[in-house]
Amino acid sequence: MCNTEQQWIAAAKTGDKDAFAKLVEKYQRPVYSVCYRMLGTPTAAEDAAQEAFIRAYQALDQYDISRSFATWVLSIASNYSIDQLRKKKVTILSMDNEKHAWLAPPDPGPSPEKAALQREKLGQIQSLLTDLNEVDRAAIILQYWHDYSYEEIADTLDLSSSAVKSRLFRARRLMAEKWQKMQLPSTAPVNSTAKRIAHETSTI
Amino acid sequence: MKHQQYETWILLGTELDLEQHRELQVHLKQCSQCQSLYQATHQIAHLFKTSPVPEPSPGFSTRCMTRIEKVETRKSQFILGMTLSVISLATLLLLSSVGLQIRAGMAQFPQLMLEMITLVAKWIVFLNQLSHIVSPLIRVSLKLISPIWLITLGFSLSGITIAWMIPFFKSRTIQRELHS
Repeated sequence: MCNTEQQWIAAAKTGDKDAFAKLVEKYQRPVYSVCYRMLGTPTAAEDAAQEAFIRAYQALDQYDISRSFATWVLSIASNYSIDQLRKKKVTILSMDNEKHAWLAPPDPGPSPEKAALQREKLGQIQSLLTDLNEVDRAAIILQYWHDYSYEEIADTLDLSSSAVKSRLFRARRLMAEKWQKMQLPSTAPVNSTAKRIAHETSTI
Repeated sequence: MKHQQYETWILLGTELDLEQHRELQVHLKQCSQCQSLYQATHQIAHLFKTSPVPEPSPGFSTRCMTRIEKVETRKSQFILGMTLSVISLATLLLLSSVGLQIRAGMAQFPQLMLEMITLVAKWIVFLNQLSHIVSPLIRVSLKLISPIWLITLGFSLSGITIAWMIPFFKSRTIQRELHS
């Protein structure tokens, strides 16, 4: 954690909203990303990410400065998303293209083909994550997209390291089984990405 | 080695030494189940790593800070409302006890209760309206007026209150003496 960030945190702890806004600016992407992977829709992700920052702001007094701010805020976001999934307040993980609207920014970003491919990939990912329970899903997200170690995941999700290992083991098995089913010829039209990935990885 | 051990290596992504790696490769050639599991986990990892990172729509931090501001305002309004409610309740209890003393024996109890309830409702409505006016006034005045002026104002108000209460209590004493 850099000195500037520590200064922002110290200032935010005294009620400086501008300093907290800088922290929001810095961590909005990882927090939003976790929420999006967990909840599956931009609306739910935006709401959850905002809620995570609100909770972080309100609990700043309890924040231990020796701990990484990123880990702390991601822990809040993960646990909030888990709660939301448990409450079943959100309709999760739709493969509807409209729900990946953030992939089509107004500026000339990815080409239509690339955007379509990205949407397809996202659909595949969300489909794989759907079958996992909330905590397993959070563990997978933190490991794959945030490169968390078992200990960091355990710390974030308030689990033991061995529990994390067994959850990741179970989750990966489930995903592998689903992936294999997705590659069956009967579901071929939906699984062009799966085939492409299979081809890409075989060439690596 | 048992088949299950290889599955664990594959599914946990265990870091293997050279010998273990060679052993796994030999097993994969013999076991189609493990081979497809190995391929699937690698393909999934590749899919995850090459997928685009979801990003919030522009203006996220501004929207987030606006929401924080709203939550904070609501919280302070709630605290003010609670404080005013407690004060008004205490005032009502005081007033009603005085009222009961004065009107003892004169008014019938149900009618008195009805009046009290009406009074309480009116007070709640009044204090709610007052809180909407007073809370922004307090916020603004705290920022605009210097602490010295605020202390002076506090002393003045206290003085006025005391000046008003002394004759009130004196008149009550006289009333009691007259009754006795």
